[in-house]
Amino acid sequence: MSFDHIMSVTIGGLTVGMIYALIALGYTMVYGVLKFINFAHGEVFTVGGYVAAFSLLAMGIDASTPWLKVAGAIALALVAAVTVPMVLGFLIERIAYRPLRGRSRIIPLLSAIGVSIVLQQLIIIIFGPKPVTIPTLALSSASVSFLGVNVRVLALVIIAVSAALMIGLTYLVKSTRIGKAMRATSQDMEAAEMMGIDTNRTIAFTFLVGSALAGIGGLLVVMYYGSLKYDAGFLYGLKAFTAAVLGGIGNIPGAVVGAIVLGMTETYGVSVDLGFLAWFVVAGLVLGLYVQMVRVPNRRLAHIAADRRTPEYERSIMNVYRLTPYHGIKTLLAERTDALLSVSAVDAVRLMAGNIFLAVLAAVMFINSSARIDTRWQPVIAFVVLMVILMFRPSGILGEAVTEKV
Amino acid sequence: MATRMETSSGRGTATAHRGAAVRRIASAMPAWVWWLAGIAIAAGFPLLNVIGVVETAWLRVGVVSLIFALLALGLNIVMGETGLLNLGYIAFFAFGAYTTALLSSPKFEIHWPFLAVIVASTLVAMVAGFLISLPTLRLRGDYLAIVTLAFGEIVRLTIINLVPLTNGPNGITGIYPPRLFADAKPALEGIEAWFIIDKPLEYYYLVLVCVVVLAVLLTNLKNSRIGRAWNALREDELAAISSGITAVRAKMLSVVLSAGIAGFAGSLFAYYSNVISPESFLFMQSVIVVCMVVLGGMGSIPGVMLGAIALQALPQLIREAAGAARSDFEVYRMLIYGVLIVVMVIVRPEGLLPDKIFRREAHEVDPRELEMTRQSLFDLEEGEKDLEV
Repeated sequence: MSFDHIMSVTIGGLTVGMIYALIALGYTMVYGVLKFINFAHGEVFTVGGYVAAFSLLAMGIDASTPWLKVAGAIALALVAAVTVPMVLGFLIERIAYRPLRGRSRIIPLLSAIGVSIVLQQLIIIIFGPKPVTIPTLALSSASVSFLGVNVRVLALVIIAVSAALMIGLTYLVKSTRIGKAMRATSQDMEAAEMMGIDTNRTIAFTFLVGSALAGIGGLLVVMYYGSLKYDAGFLYGLKAFTAAVLGGIGNIPGAVVGAIVLGMTETYGVSVDLGFLAWFVVAGLVLGLYVQMVRVPNRRLAHIAADRRTPEYERSIMNVYRLTPYHGIKTLLAERTDALLSVSAVDAVRLMAGNIFLAVLAAVMFINSSARIDTRWQPVIAFVVLMVILMFRPSGILGEAVTEKV
Repeated sequence: MATRMETSSGRGTATAHRGAAVRRIASAMPAWVWWLAGIAIAAGFPLLNVIGVVETAWLRVGVVSLIFALLALGLNIVMGETGLLNLGYIAFFAFGAYTTALLSSPKFEIHWPFLAVIVASTLVAMVAGFLISLPTLRLRGDYLAIVTLAFGEIVRLTIINLVPLTNGPNGITGIYPPRLFADAKPALEGIEAWFIIDKPLEYYYLVLVCVVVLAVLLTNLKNSRIGRAWNALREDELAAISSGITAVRAKMLSVVLSAGIAGFAGSLFAYYSNVISPESFLFMQSVIVVCMVVLGGMGSIPGVMLGAIALQALPQLIREAAGAARSDFEVYRMLIYGVLIVVMVIVRPEGLLPDKIFRREAHEVDPRELEMTRQSLFDLEEGEKDLEV
């Protein structure tokens, strides 16, 4: 496990993560405002990529084209990859989502799935079922030495462009008038309307921004990988959604953090030895135990009423916590603190199952430390991350920024 | 007050009354007449093939439609009755199909009797449903949909990657035809040929019997205590829990039951198609089943069966009418499905043959019906005379 290898894997993970982030921002913004999963967002990304690729092809550039012309062609492709998805996003919102506003959660989701299928089939009908491939440019094969490692220039470009866009988006949402309107609409649509905010316009604007980012993501993917398939949007979209949930849905910095974590997990997962990965599992286990046995009990103890805070009582609670963290949290949440004292050893094992699982997993990984996860399991990694995060911490790493109205 | 109501619903009443008239005629006939008519049409359909009016291809479409009707009935339990969107439903179908393929094919030289295989397939799918429902049922609607989607994809990718067990992308071939008695001799002549199911016609009736039995069972279940608990959870989870429904248990029951039905259907599918491969269990297949339920009407048992048959028969109809090339056609088929979902949820969210609760919820409420509800609501209040129509 050399430093060079780790370094190049890290940069690869960061690049993939940044692309996920560009798409995830669209999911998270729409979720923040409308509280529904814009399932068609992945297809908007694919359309962006296809439009970019076909405009590059139409301008007939190849490896021998002078760089000025290449730059011009990329600029034009960028314009196309931003405009077309924007129009598309706007139309989708107007046609398929606006009539359904205020209905239960799954109805607009169904509509979004329908739109996603329609878009995917339209891509096949218009552009054909074969993946679109762009000619190799000097730019796409160029590499520089970065901290002693050879890195593709495009990877650095992707990281830089994405970072710049995210800073711009944060500025837009935090410090402009329309950003304020977006945040207000997200918090409480009715109240925002009463304050004179045109929520329809704000929602349309959210879709425009999200689609533009996805379109840029499409362009970057086409340039980085050289080709794109019509159904790529499904997987990219799901991974980006995973990233958005991972970071906390509705939370813009969260989407970026989640995307980078997901990109790293995926890339590390298949390109380093299990023995190396096992240390991450150990770190997760230690962190989890720390939270369960030290942080949470201490925080919870602070909430115990003053008249019950005898040293024996506190100690007994701490002991039960150390034995059965999950159970302790649950019963304290239920305000049945007396029940804490009657926990059997069987219960303790049952409730520690998650930690035991992680420990066994780490042990197995250390035993097979020179093995690697086969690349064909890579898509499964993202899905497993998605399931695990939704099951155990649906609010994500940085917490949800969605206000729920009951 | 009465006059104000009259004028406010002025234009709507004419259409609503016409709709009500149609409904009145329809509901004048008892439900069993409709059931019998439906069964008679379904049972009579293969005879058209026997006398040579329609081709055998149509019989095959009939078998697949009926298998999908089973699937739609199963998905309807979670989606229509309990209100949980499952986007990985085809995974349970895959569990059933692969269990059947492993227990009754040359792959491991195992040849279990038909009934044992079908029970095993159902149970395997139910266990899978139970395991997935344990951690996921606390999630809210849209997250649940995404988790089930991820589950479906994990199952499919695992099938592809787990080559020693599943043959990967090549699939498992040569599944033995169902045999009612395990010890039937290999000779396929005389009376013994009757106990082996290997012709489309025989499959058709086998699946038809399953569909009818299941539909009757589910109709009874829908009107039972459990069915009402599901509906209550769908309408308002908080209120349902407050009225003493154990939400997690009721939801788990619906997920496990629907998974079992999918496993059952998957077993029949594996037997019928003889060959199974991961291609039959794509995410798109889940979407197609969802589409059937939405088209037919969520929560409506006759509706979802109609939806399944319509969506399976429609492509064949178009294919025959247009004579289009197969690969070309598949694209337009999915396009039509996609458009259908969007149009249905916007224009007619209650489906073609709506369930009565969904019809009342949807936009076109018969004002008289609404007022009758209102009347009963305000019965005990003062000034009830004002509300009379």
